[in-house]
Amino acid sequence: MNEAQFAHRIRHQLDLGNRIEPRVAAQLRAAREQALAQHRPGSEGEVALAGAALGRLGGVRVLLLRVALPAVILGIACATTFVWQQQQRAAEIEELDALLLSSDLPIDAYLDQGFTAWLKRRGSQ
Amino acid sequence: MAQAARIAIAFTTAVLLAMPAAAAPDKDLRWAQLNMEQQKILEPLSSQWDRLEPQQRVQWIGVAKRYPKFTPVGQKRTQTRMKKWAKLTPEQRRQARENYRRISKVPPDRRGDLQRQWDEYQSLPPRKKPAPAK
Repeated sequence: MNEAQFAHRIRHQLDLGNRIEPRVAAQLRAAREQALAQHRPGSEGEVALAGAALGRLGGVRVLLLRVALPAVILGIACATTFVWQQQQRAAEIEELDALLLSSDLPIDAYLDQGFTAWLKRRGSQ
Repeated sequence: MAQAARIAIAFTTAVLLAMPAAAAPDKDLRWAQLNMEQQKILEPLSSQWDRLEPQQRVQWIGVAKRYPKFTPVGQKRTQTRMKKWAKLTPEQRRQARENYRRISKVPPDRRGDLQRQWDEYQSLPPRKKPAPAK
């Protein structure tokens, strides 16, 4: 079959198509219109489809913005507070050690629990 | 968005990894790494420095930092007491700090001359000494 013959046969088939039953033609028309309606911008179908797509993307976004990001910020804040507290505590101990070592009293006086109680009792008399 | 998440995760990891370093600087400071001034102040500890707990070393560095502000008498006392202080257990040091705090709270006009009070307390017969404070 050469090209001309093939074209002839296609045309013949298409001509036959003109004779399809009105019921089938109506069904085909309805199907075409439905398909077109779904592809028209702003149509209900399109909006639904876009909504679904956004919903999937939004899911990830919402998870990141509302959960992961605050969690990261909270984690950093906690870590910073922890480090700061540790440093404050360390500085406080260093300060106390410095004062204690250079104080009027020997270390033994601070190790003697009885002396502290005795001194407090005397002070309150 | 995925890139932002990766950056956030990387940042958090970096912060978390930096935390121990920030919390304990100079952690493994050895005697040879101290500067000359620190070595001069902490001289009494030179022979045992490298065997001290890392946390204790950091505390001594802190004491050395404050040392220049002491009176000459305070500086002398500090150096004399260093070895003894380093030999105490962590619990004894904690207890001594706590007692220092308690004694500091007694107003100076009431506690009087502490050295004289200590001498007086030591001369008391044992039965006159109070039970340890809880």
